Amino acid sequence: MELFRLSATEVAFGVRDGRFSAEDVVRSCLSRIESKEPEIHAMLTVTAEAAIARARELDGRRSAGEDLGPLGGVPVILKDNMCTAGVKTTCASRILEEWVPPYDATVVRLLLKAGAVLLGKANMDEFAMGGSTENSAFGVTSNPWALDRVPGGSSGGSAAAVAAGYAPIALGSDTGGSIRQPASFCGVYGLKPTYGRTSRYGLVAFASSLDQIGPFARTAEDVALVMEVLGVHDPMDSTSQPVPPDDFSQALSARDLKGKRIGYLKEVAEYDYDDRMKNALSKAMKACEEAGAEMVEISLGTAIDHGLASYYILAPAEASSNLARFDGVRYGSSSKDPESLMELYLKTRKDGFGDEVKRRILTGTYVLSAGFYDAYYLKAQKVRKVIKQEFAKAFEKVDSIILPPSPTPAFKVGELIDDPIAMYMADVFTIPVNMAGLPGISINVGFSEEGLPLGVQFIAPRWGEKELLSTAAVMESRFGGAKIADGGDL
Amino acid sequence: MSLTFTTVIGLEIHVQLNTRTKLFCGCSTDYIGATPNTNICPLCTGQPGTLPVLNERVVELGVRAGLALGCTINRVTRFDRKNYFYPDLPKAYQISEFYVPLAEKGEVTVTGDDGKPYKVGITRLHLEEDAGKLVHGASDGRIVGSTQSFVDYNRSSVPLAEIVSEPDITSPRMAKEYVATLRQMVRYLGVSDGDMEKGSMRVDANISLKVSDGRWGNRVEVKNMNSLRALERALEFEIRRQGAILSDGGEIHQETRNWDDSAGETSSSRSKEESNDYRYFTEPDLPPLVLSDSYIEDIERDLPELPWEKKARYERDFDLPQDDISVLTEQKDLAEYFEACVKAGASPARASNWIRTEVLRVLNERGGHISEFSLSPAALVELLRMVEGKKLSTTAAKEVFDAMVSREISLKEAIDACGVTAGNLSGDGLASLVQSVLEANGDVVEVIRSCDDKKDKKRKFLQGQVMKEARGQADPREVAKILDIELPR
Ligand SMILES: [Zn+2]
Repeated sequence: MELFRLSATEVAFGVRDGRFSAEDVVRSCLSRIESKEPEIHAMLTVTAEAAIARARELDGRRSAGEDLGPLGGVPVILKDNMCTAGVKTTCASRILEEWVPPYDATVVRLLLKAGAVLLGKANMDEFAMGGSTENSAFGVTSNPWALDRVPGGSSGGSAAAVAAGYAPIALGSDTGGSIRQPASFCGVYGLKPTYGRTSRYGLVAFASSLDQIGPFARTAEDVALVMEVLGVHDPMDSTSQPVPPDDFSQALSARDLKGKRIGYLKEVAEYDYDDRMKNALSKAMKACEEAGAEMVEISLGTAIDHGLASYYILAPAEASSNLARFDGVRYGSSSKDPESLMELYLKTRKDGFGDEVKRRILTGTYVLSAGFYDAYYLKAQKVRKVIKQEFAKAFEKVDSIILPPSPTPAFKVGELIDDPIAMYMADVFTIPVNMAGLPGISINVGFSEEGLPLGVQFIAPRWGEKELLSTAAVMESRFGGAKIADGGDL
Repeated sequence: MSLTFTTVIGLEIHVQLNTRTKLFCGCSTDYIGATPNTNICPLCTGQPGTLPVLNERVVELGVRAGLALGCTINRVTRFDRKNYFYPDLPKAYQISEFYVPLAEKGEVTVTGDDGKPYKVGITRLHLEEDAGKLVHGASDGRIVGSTQSFVDYNRSSVPLAEIVSEPDITSPRMAKEYVATLRQMVRYLGVSDGDMEKGSMRVDANISLKVSDGRWGNRVEVKNMNSLRALERALEFEIRRQGAILSDGGEIHQETRNWDDSAGETSSSRSKEESNDYRYFTEPDLPPLVLSDSYIEDIERDLPELPWEKKARYERDFDLPQDDISVLTEQKDLAEYFEACVKAGASPARASNWIRTEVLRVLNERGGHISEFSLSPAALVELLRMVEGKKLSTTAAKEVFDAMVSREISLKEAIDACGVTAGNLSGDGLASLVQSVLEANGDVVEVIRSCDDKKDKKRKFLQGQVMKEARGQADPREVAKILDIELPR
């Protein structure tokens, strides 16, 4: 068996038991990357040498009898918006093309402490803005299941990397669906944790009140394993909540969904979206029912009808402020020989940012401006409050909610790139979860006739990750874990 | 008919709060004289991905100042982002409390223009972070003509409290007193060192004039006043400038003006002239700041006696001239020294007198601070007792005092070292000293003998000369007796 096909849990056990070395695993993953990368282009940086050196160091420590930690020897890939000391962190933007952070993000620190081996940084939509990874300044990533299609976004590189077998684990960030939608497009598991569960320290901010880091994996067990490492309070992030670390793996022992009430949305049933996704949802709902769950129709009218519009006010507003620091003064690219300070700002930002980023900065600046603030920003905040209340009410009736992670399966490269509104509309089922700060998971439940992965999404109340993992484990026992895309021979 | 003007002044004061570390990171706040960009970290240089963590000590100091100003402390506040581009602002936004300040609706009492107590309203006190500093490359350090600029982020994210007054101030003198009162207050509270020269207390003034014919002049903001005197002069200048324009029927341009202390005038500021839209919104990286009643009560209980309260108590308890009270209460440590002397048994008048003339003289000469003064109040009182008991003359006591302070020795050691115990010189020894003084002042003796000594002036002069020669060791009564024998009346 090729070692790159192993799950993170299997790798950690194998390395611990001495069945293979961390270096063997890392070399297997690196050669997989080398063979697949020309057609997929999921990576912006591969730190091959450092990874091998790290693996050897871990192997040495293991031989000396040391416990390497829960992720001992596990290869991990990071979305390129998480800071890595000494390794470029570009956010797939020209403006940070050569930027090397002076510090590690908290998630990076935690992964290393747990014994993980970093293989490199994955492609993404520039500054996490987009749903297809086509907004990367450094080229599009292909969906490993269909090379002419997008992997989703904005964490498309991370999702594609896990689907292609580059690593059993990759981290993404989810501001409006950027983990759950690419997980669905690439046929893997993707968890967006409760806002405040994982540290944002060292995550280059897109929209601070919505961003959350989470894992991609090919099994529910691996998602739980990573969350036990990452789901700890971080004093460096004031929005990280001091909840005690959860025993996520314990949730995996669920064999059925007896006594569970799972909500499905009236608004989704009435929504006009892709039949393949509709079929996937019915299939999953049927599986839930067979596993003993009671399916309950609920309504989230504000969330589905107004969530998207409010999100596309709030997220750009925060982004316009978060991205203002890229002005050519301290770090990142800087226009050469400006005539004045103003010219430095204008030229640096004009040349450094891509169209979608500029579009959102302009939108965000507009909605915060004097005279428009009340009509847009304040109104959207009110909608956000209503959405939170709506979810709170729904969760009085149900334990979790099932809905599609996206209205469509993976679309073709270039299909939506000139239609930003259509691209935004693709986030309609994921955005409400971020607006309410809830945890959500996307899991693969099968493939379309033409071989495109199809996912479903479950969401739970705040801190309800265990609920999601139980459900995911039960679904996994029915639909099987995520598969590695080998290309050509489905 | 000639026009008259009413002056309307409101002040915004930025006070650097006295913490070891910055508002949102663990870097040192010590930027004065530090090598540029040495007290910095990823956060205070705005590196992507960094997040602010609130320094709790800053909140405590802010609440302390707010309570001392008689403000209401808001139990729930949020930090906001003030967005604007400037190279000294690394994140391109400043974190500040815009929508809900930490404290609001207080007051400070000053002397009104009619000499009576007058209340200046405090609109708000809020917390915010400082920016870095630009250093321009031209040889004279100015923007104009410089070809490059440098940024020093040592000051970036240093904690500030901004105290905004109501436009209640009616004269430059009152503005000066108001700032002096606040400065004294923050020093008493240990909240800030309140140093205007070093920039740990920065005053911006908003000034406008109301004309007796009903017109209102536009408001002008004046910056860059680095001392109380500069503040007063700048405001006086603005009153003359704006008054002249309004008298001619002109309009006051609403703008920001910089005070040039050496030129003695304000001039229109070139930077940030256009009106800014700061696009304030709540800082999503920081949760709401929620303060419990007990937290605030604890801080209130620990508040020291405030300068104006201390003054009132001195007026009530001690029979001292107003001037003494002002000097003694100017600094909290000095007042504490004084009170310790009184508590150890010194009379308030004598303690005050000695502190003003001797203690402050030595501190001035040496440039030290009362808190580091080597002579304890108890030791000073012991010395004063010897003077009261006539065991030491005042002259001798001052010599002993100097010895005790400069050589850090005990009272007894100092007396021995100076050899100045009262009465050491008497009898024949003293008689011969008197004799030598009389010989050296033959002309004076002649005047006395010829009965021309009006009001005993010359006799007193001779007495003084003897006492001086005796270096305090003679009993003045014995000296007088010997003089009476030598120069019978
Ligand atoms: Zn710092």
